[in-house]
Amino acid sequence: MGDNNIGKVLEREGFKYNFTAAASDTSAQDEVIKEQDRLLPIANVGRIMKQILPPNAKISKEAKETMQECVSEFISFVTGEASDKCHKEKRKTVNGDDICWALATLGFDDYSEPLKRYLHKYREFEGERANQNKGNNNTYENNIANI
Amino acid sequence: METNNQQQQQQGAQAQSGPYPVAGAGGSAGAGAGAPPPFQHLLQQQQQQLQMFWSYQRQEIEHVNDFKNHQLPLARIKKIMKADEDVRMISAEAPILFAKACELFILELTIRSWLHAEENKRRTLQKNDIAAAITRTDIFDFLVDIVPRDEIKDDAALVGATASGVPYYYPPIGQPAGMMIGRPAVDPATGVYVQPPSQAWQSVWQSAAEDASYGTGGAGAQRSLDGQS
Repeated sequence: MGDNNIGKVLEREGFKYNFTAAASDTSAQDEVIKEQDRLLPIANVGRIMKQILPPNAKISKEAKETMQECVSEFISFVTGEASDKCHKEKRKTVNGDDICWALATLGFDDYSEPLKRYLHKYREFEGERANQNKGNNNTYENNIANI
Repeated sequence: METNNQQQQQQGAQAQSGPYPVAGAGGSAGAGAGAPPPFQHLLQQQQQQLQMFWSYQRQEIEHVNDFKNHQLPLARIKKIMKADEDVRMISAEAPILFAKACELFILELTIRSWLHAEENKRRTLQKNDIAAAITRTDIFDFLVDIVPRDEIKDDAALVGATASGVPYYYPPIGQPAGMMIGRPAVDPATGVYVQPPSQAWQSVWQSAAEDASYGTGGAGAQRSLDGQS
């Protein structure tokens, strides 16, 4: 009888053990997902790296992973500087100008000038798109008015 | 500011249109009284390559018209930005700009890493190549914690870093060092690259196996590179 009890206890403990193991696995998975969210996708990073290398060049997995880490650090580093600027100027939103300024401040002069141009072109593109949408809306309103 | 950009582009175009030096090809490079030593030759060549890279990137930005498709996911970039607790709101343009900035960052760090791999006569880019590129370049100081200390020490023992971020490298005597650079794929009329990015750079990286003139020395090798007879 005592043996049966021991058996039950073992079963319960086994169940308990399995349950806690499953729970810890889930939390570990969550941590892994969070860790992955901290990095840009390795396939995308590898693709960009390949663009600039000769066709016979190879890239080790370790190199791609290191590059992933570096890129995330780069984003955090520049964002931190841009965010500080916003905080000092009592602004809540980090915008493109803040990023360009941060890049220049941190010594990335080769980046800041072309990216200012890129930002300028993007804003022009957005402006044109907004105007087109406005035009389309006006046409739609005119059509309704005519009806 | 735009005029400044135009000037930079013109300078870049001039740099590209000229013939590129061949590392180790000039057998008489050190023979002349005023000739630079081999490491300086390589240094000059590497700097030229990086200048060419930035010139090309400036040109590409001038011709960009697609802001919807990016090589890196904007949502992930935004998540990384949001990881900073001080960041409250992010404008729509910020991740788009970062996508381009990260692309430039990956490309530059890859080129600098590849230069190190080439110095060691390897065709596979490894972690220690990235470590070397980081230690040689001042603006990448913020990345020193990412690469292990021992890898940095190993590299520092082999190569002395310079202020310009490109190493002083002493190649073995009588052997070609670094990489050979051909004329880039530039349209002579416009001075603009005519190939897509992945192909445009293939003309820059010329391997020793592909060209018999590599390391043969003299001006003949240079002429054959430039397409002259």
